[in-house]
Parts: sequence; C-alpha cells; structure tokens
Amino acid sequence: MLADSNIRASGPSPWQRLTRHLMRSWQLLRRQQKAMAGMGIVLAFVVAAVFAPVLAPYPPTEQNFMDAMQGPSAQHWMGTDSFGQDILSRVFYGARSALWIGFASVALGLVVGVAVGLLAGLRGGRTEWVLMRVVDGLLAFPELIMAMAFMAVLGLGMNNVILALALSFVGPFARTVRADVLQVKARPFIEAARLMGVPEREIVRRHVLPNIASPILIQAGMRISIAILLASGLSFLGLGVVPPTPDWGLMIAEGRGFVSMAPWMAGMPGLALATLLIGLNLMAEGLRDALDPKTRGDKP
Amino acid sequence: MSQASLQVEHLTLRRNGVAVLDDVSLHLPAGQTLALIGESGAGKSTLAYAAMGLVRPPEVQLQGRLMVGDVDVVTAPERVLRPLRGVRMGMIFQDASAALNPCFSVLSHLSEPLQRHRGLSKAACKARAIELLASVGIADPVSRLQAYPHELSGGMQQRVMIAMALACEPQLLIADEPTSALDVTIQAQIMALLLDRVRALGASAIFVLHDLALATQVADRVAVMYAGQIVEEGPAAEVLNHPRHPYTQGLRASAIEFDAERLQPIAGVVPPLSAMPGGCRFAPRCALASARCSAEKPELAAHDTVRVACWNL
Amino acid sequence: MKPDTQPLALPVSTARTAPTGSNAPTAHQALPLFSLLDVEKSFPVDGGRRQLRALDGIRLTLQAGESLALVGESGSGKSTLVRVMLGLESATNGRVLYGANEPASFSAAQHRRFAREVAYIYQDARGSLNPRMSVAEVLAEPVRLHALRDEGEIPARVDELLAMVGLPTDVRHKFPSELSGGQVRRVAVARALACEPKVIVADESVAGLDVSVQAQLLNLLRDLQRDHGLAMVFVTHDLGVAAYLCERVAVMYLGRIVETGPTREVLQAPLHPYTQALMNAFPRFDAPLSVSLQGEIPSASNLPKGCRFRSRCVFASEECQQTDPAQMSYSALRQVACLTPLTPLAAVVPA
Repeated sequence: MLADSNIRASGPSPWQRLTRHLMRSWQLLRRQQKAMAGMGIVLAFVVAAVFAPVLAPYPPTEQNFMDAMQGPSAQHWMGTDSFGQDILSRVFYGARSALWIGFASVALGLVVGVAVGLLAGLRGGRTEWVLMRVVDGLLAFPELIMAMAFMAVLGLGMNNVILALALSFVGPFARTVRADVLQVKARPFIEAARLMGVPEREIVRRHVLPNIASPILIQAGMRISIAILLASGLSFLGLGVVPPTPDWGLMIAEGRGFVSMAPWMAGMPGLALATLLIGLNLMAEGLRDALDPKTRGDKP
Repeated sequence: MSQASLQVEHLTLRRNGVAVLDDVSLHLPAGQTLALIGESGAGKSTLAYAAMGLVRPPEVQLQGRLMVGDVDVVTAPERVLRPLRGVRMGMIFQDASAALNPCFSVLSHLSEPLQRHRGLSKAACKARAIELLASVGIADPVSRLQAYPHELSGGMQQRVMIAMALACEPQLLIADEPTSALDVTIQAQIMALLLDRVRALGASAIFVLHDLALATQVADRVAVMYAGQIVEEGPAAEVLNHPRHPYTQGLRASAIEFDAERLQPIAGVVPPLSAMPGGCRFAPRCALASARCSAEKPELAAHDTVRVACWNL
Repeated sequence: MKPDTQPLALPVSTARTAPTGSNAPTAHQALPLFSLLDVEKSFPVDGGRRQLRALDGIRLTLQAGESLALVGESGSGKSTLVRVMLGLESATNGRVLYGANEPASFSAAQHRRFAREVAYIYQDARGSLNPRMSVAEVLAEPVRLHALRDEGEIPARVDELLAMVGLPTDVRHKFPSELSGGQVRRVAVARALACEPKVIVADESVAGLDVSVQAQLLNLLRDLQRDHGLAMVFVTHDLGVAAYLCERVAVMYLGRIVETGPTREVLQAPLHPYTQALMNAFPRFDAPLSVSLQGEIPSASNLPKGCRFRSRCVFASEECQQTDPAQMSYSALRQVACLTPLTPLAAVVPA
C-alpha cells in the first residue's frame, strides 16, 4: 500500500479552488440586480469610510460655536450640530466606526460560532448535547440586552462593543452551523463518499465544509447589518462608543434633544444608518438568491 | 348524456415569449380516448392543462381555438369556464398524494364538487360519495369516508382522485400520467378502472402517457408530440405498431420489449425551446433530413388513416 | 474468519448457491462474490411494538461477472436488500458474506478493498454527487483514493472515464447543477467505474428517464458490464429492463425472494404466480390490458400467516394459509418459494 501522503487528496490547491469558486459566485451574483444595488450602496459607504480624511471637508471634532445648529447649507452640506461640528464630516467618520464594528464583531462571532457548531454537528452524542445547552443559554437573552450586560461589565469603548456583540452572535451562528452540518450529513453524497472508502477526515474537509460555507456566508452578511444597528443602539443608550468619537448612534442621541429645532442633527446620521442597512440587506439577500440552488435556476 | 368532442385548431401557446405549443391541431371525436405521447418538454402536459382552461393569460399567450364541445377555452372568460371545470371536464393528476389536500378527509374531497356544482345537501353528498367510492373499486367505502389522504396507499389515493374527477359525470376526462407513480400491478387495475368508467359515461378521454405500450393498450387514438408540435396522429395501433414519422420510429425502437435484441436510442437531444431550429424541429436528429427539412416546416398530411408531418413520406 | 460450512435447512442443490468450504486464496474463483444466507432484516415500528419485516429468509449468491436483477414492487425490500449487502444496514439475522468474510467484521484493509471492488450507483444520482465538486474532481476522487493512477495521469484517466460513458470532455469543469438528469446519471456511472470495481450495484438507475435517454443508459450499462466482465446487481421494478440487462433475475415480494433463475426462462415460463402476474401486468405492444392481480400489497408490518402472497393469489389453497414457503431449488438454475409452482415439478427444462 502506498504511503499515506500519496493517498491524501491533492489535486487543485485550495487557493485554486477558492478562486474558481469565487469567480463562479461572482458570475452568479452579477445577474442579481438587488445584490448589485446593495453592493453599490455599501461600496459608497466603504469608500466614504476609508477616504474620510480626504473627503471630509472639516475635521470631525472641530468645534465652531459660531456656526452651531446651522441647517444644511453650501458650507455645511448636512448642517452642524450643537457644538458646531460639521455633520457631513462626522457622518463620514461615523461610517468608519459603524463598518469596522459591524465586520469585526461578525467575523469574531463567526469564527467562534462556526467552531462550536461544527464540533457539535460532527461529533454528535454528548459533546453535541453539552455544546447545544451552552448555546441555548446564550440564545436565551435578546442580543441587545446581552450586549448591554457585557458593556456594563467590560466598560465602554469600541473594542468592548466589538467583543460584546461578537459574544452575542456566537449563539445564532453555532445553532445555524450545527443545523447545516446535520442537514449535509444526511445527504446521499456523504453516504456515497463513505461507501467509496473516503476517510472520515476527508469527508469533513471536502464534502461537509464546502457545503455549509454558503449558508454561513449568507448568515454573516445578514448579521452585519444587525451588528451595525446594535452598535448604534448601544451608543445611543450611552453604553457603546465614547464621545467625542464620531458615531452615528451617539450623534442621534445628541440630536434627540434638538429634534424640533435642528432635526438634521439626528436626521442625517439616521438617514445614513438606514441607507447603509438597506444596502447591506439588499446585498445579503441578493447573495442568498444567487447562491441558493433553489432560486438560481438550476436544472432539476 | 351528451358527448363532448375536443377540437384543437392551430393552437399556439407562448410562455415568456417561447412557444411551448406550436400550431397544434387535432380532433378527438366524442366518446373516444386519445393518448398524448412524447418525451419530457414536448408539451403534452401543457396541452392537457390548456384543454382544461388551466393555462390562461396573463401567464401565457394563446392563439387559435380549443373547442371542448361548443365552448372555446381560448376565448371564454373565467366565469364561463369555472362552472365547466369538474362538470364538463374532469382532471386526474399524476401524483395523487400531492393533489389531495392533507387537511381534508375523503368525504370532504368528494363533497366539494358535488356541493359546488350540483348543490347537493350533506346527506345526499354522503350517499353519492359512497356510490362513487364503490364505483372506483374501493372496498368498504363507508369506512373510508373519514380517512385522510396520508392514511391511504398510492393506489387508493389515485382511486379517490378518479372518483372526484368523475363525481359530476364529465364529458371529457383528462388524465396526466395517472399511473406513473404506481406499481405496475396497481397500474393495470387503475387503467382498467379508468377505461371502464369512461366508457360507462360515454365520455371522451385524453391520457398523457410516456409509456408507448400502455398507450396501445388503453387508447383509441394517439398523438405523438415533439418539441411543442404534433408530428404524427392517428389510430393507436396503427401509429405505434407501424410508425411513419422518424421520431415515432425512434421512440418505438428505444422502447423496451421483452425480446428486444438491442435498443436503438434516438441520437442527439431535444433543443431548448428558446433555440428551436427553423423548418422541421426534428431535422437535426433525423437520419433522413434533407435541405428541405431544415428550411420548411412540414405540415400534418394524411397518409391512410394517419396524419404525419414529414417531408420524407 | 472461518469459512462458512453452515448446513442449509432445505435442499439447495448446486455449487452455485452454496459457497465452497475452502479458504485458500486460489479457491476465490469458485467462491461467489456475495453470499446471503437466510438473511432477515426487521425494523421496529410503532415505538417498538411491532416489527416491519423488510427482509425474510433471503438466500442469494452472486458470482463474478454475473448480472443479477432484483425485481419487485414497492415494499418488496429490494432496496433494503442492497443496503444490507453493501453493509449500510446490518442484517437482523442470517449471514452476509463478501467472498469468505462478513462485511460487518472487516478490518480496515478489507474494508478498503471492499469499497474499491463494490461500487454503488444511487437511485438519486444527483443527490449522490457533491454539488460543490466539479465533474473532474468527482471522478478523480476514487482514483486518488485507491491510488490507481499517479497524480499526473489523473486528468487523462478522467477523460477516459468520460469517454467510456459517452460524455464530452468539456463536461469536466461543470458542476452537477449544470448537467441534465441523463448526464448526471452518466457521471454517477463513470464514478462507479473509476475505482475499477468487480461489482456494480445500481438502484433504479433508469427510472423516470425519457425513453430515448433510458435506452442510451441501458445500452451503456449492458456494454460496460460485458466489456469489463463486471458483476452487476440491478434493482428495478421493470421486468423489461431486467430482461434487457441481466442474465439472472430474482423476483421479490414483501421481503422474500419468490423466484430466481435465468431471466429469459423466468419470464417465458414463470413458476411463481406473482411473477406471472407481474409479467401480465406489464404493458406490451402485442397484448391487451390485463388486470392480473387484484387488491393491494399488504403492509410488511402486518404480514398474513402462511404464504405472504396468498391474499392475492388465485391458486391459493388451504396449505398456503398455513405454511410460509421458503426458497426451494426447482432445477439446477431456478429456485422458487411456492407450494404449488405453476409448472409441474416433473416437467422441468433446464437452460
């Protein structure tokens, strides 16, 4: 019998397969108008965030009491707030914190949640039981409440917001991944591979994992918008990012008291938040439609 | 019992711009059975559904005439068609377990057409339901009235569906692959039952089938469809035992028979509906194809008792 | 593993149906590939209160290079039988042997050899392919797994396999979702061939296909089986397919093999009333519609006492209600499980 290293599957390298897979996904994605529109919006915000120092007409924390509470004008496209800070600039910088928190918390929650879900789904038995009871515990709390509790314990600040949100995402991810793993395990091609003599480790790597990747990515995409909304919520409640960091939640909180006099103070960041969320949701839905075998028009 | 005939004249059905049925014409005299034969995608189920008036604008565009008795299904409005469905025309679907509502008992299923179309009272419905179940060969019908579809075997479910279709004594019965999902011994029972009931009512029937041998056993006439067109049509025994159109010949040569030496499949595949060749649609796969075949579409022409659409006859 | 020397209760005459008792490697030729001895398989239903007897008293052998059709309607147990043979389910009773050993107690090396020598084509061909693997990857997997070719030779082998099943080479980059039903089945056949097996087990591989596509696939399977000398077990409900593909047929009813023998003989002169009813029910061009069998198939969890077919059998007698007939040898090549077979015992004509 040949050495084990020869039998271990080689073939196209993981990178080649990944790029081929991405190309194919991209081609599918392009056909979805929804996804394209969503991606356009999100891209606009990403550009705004990345190039904020270049695009913002004013430094975000520059206070100018002469121009405080001005409505939208030629000098201040979105007006100014009660400290005279330019809202447009703060919205650009706020995009930074929003996007960063959104992606980072979801990425972290994903890594931990997927690991837990994979272990539970593949092992089964007692391991699965114990892990799922832990997950049940995590899921028992509404995400915002749990995040608030963590912030109270960990203290304020952007990094803690990311940690708190990540923790509240572990439960949903773990549960979804476990369900996906169980579903894939029951499909005929898994049994067929086993029957062919494929070793268990290879079955997981080559047959199970690639088939749960899409559902996970779609979930992740949808979670990002939830994360951003939650982060803004936390900041709004004063339990998130610390002032004077430009953050949409904080800006809405600050503008709350001036709604009748200067509605743009809360309105502009609120509009930005809503737009970004719509863009993210469109993108996630379009991704799901593109990747879901049922809706992408595969042959029966 | 007056009889309805089916007369289809130059029927073209378009869905999303693609012609699923292309210039289909056929005539089924009253009291006869017709088998629609063809492979998947040929349009036979579509034609059957169109005859029931179940495929209508705006999902599709219809041209031509489809006469069931004296009603033109193509132009008749919904309010004219609705009272006819179930009364003049009855339909039996392929998958009985999907066609029956799992929330309703057998009695509810049977009562629906009786109450709606005949206005029978509850007691009268029950009596008639028992009669119908007995007529479709269900032993001890009274005990079955309260059964739910999932409690019945496949053959039983199909019998219940036949009973429903026949409840108001239709003049035209349409069956879409009524026995494909059943075991072959049950298939024989069900087909015999269908034929018996249809003849008892003096009704006409259209069977959509993919089994050629079954078609010779159950149908008076046969229409062979390919890519949305009728390529051969005539008495069943004649068409299927002495096929004239190359496609029909190909089907016959691919069909399994017990003493077949070697099956001869038809070369090539059916072109997609959106990319149909001009001229004869079968030409790309036909060994006899000539230049004329690719250029001109052959019309159905009479050869003895059979109509065939082929230039090479 | 000690070779099987278990005596069978009823006279089973020939070497075809009883494994020889030697465990010397050279005797492998005479050893059937598969031997099933009085195999039973029951599933608990109703929370364990009743047993669904999916298989009962199965006796079957498969020789190298032989093609066998398992024919039966729903509830006959043919799919269960195949799963038990492959080791996907374990028999509740009786013995399943591959060569001289039981799959349930294979060592890792034996298991690997079994996986290579026995290839299974699923009924749901599309479901049996990983949707995330391209055709080339699907076909390369078994080749790599059993180290049948060097890494550099694999693309050529994939092309070879595609050619064997009549698929164009540009299919290699496609994914199962981009292929038609007929093409997917061919890929499944190609994958089965990829590990160079001795036995191919196929479950209803041509059901639900258009007539022409079915004919192509049947021709392909028949040619492959003959060209490569493969043994084949083909599960089907269609007697015509069985006749076309396989030299031997085993007809099943409610978990019991009711008749076996050379296909032509069995179909031309059936011994068991069920086989005859099945023959007559099949649509034919040269015969009218014939309702050969009344009634429904009884439930396998509620089998009648005595012969399981008696509720539908026109020849059923008093004795049939009392005794459940086991498979008995009728002639050198044929067996039947019936107390009153259709042709009198004396008038047998061996093939």
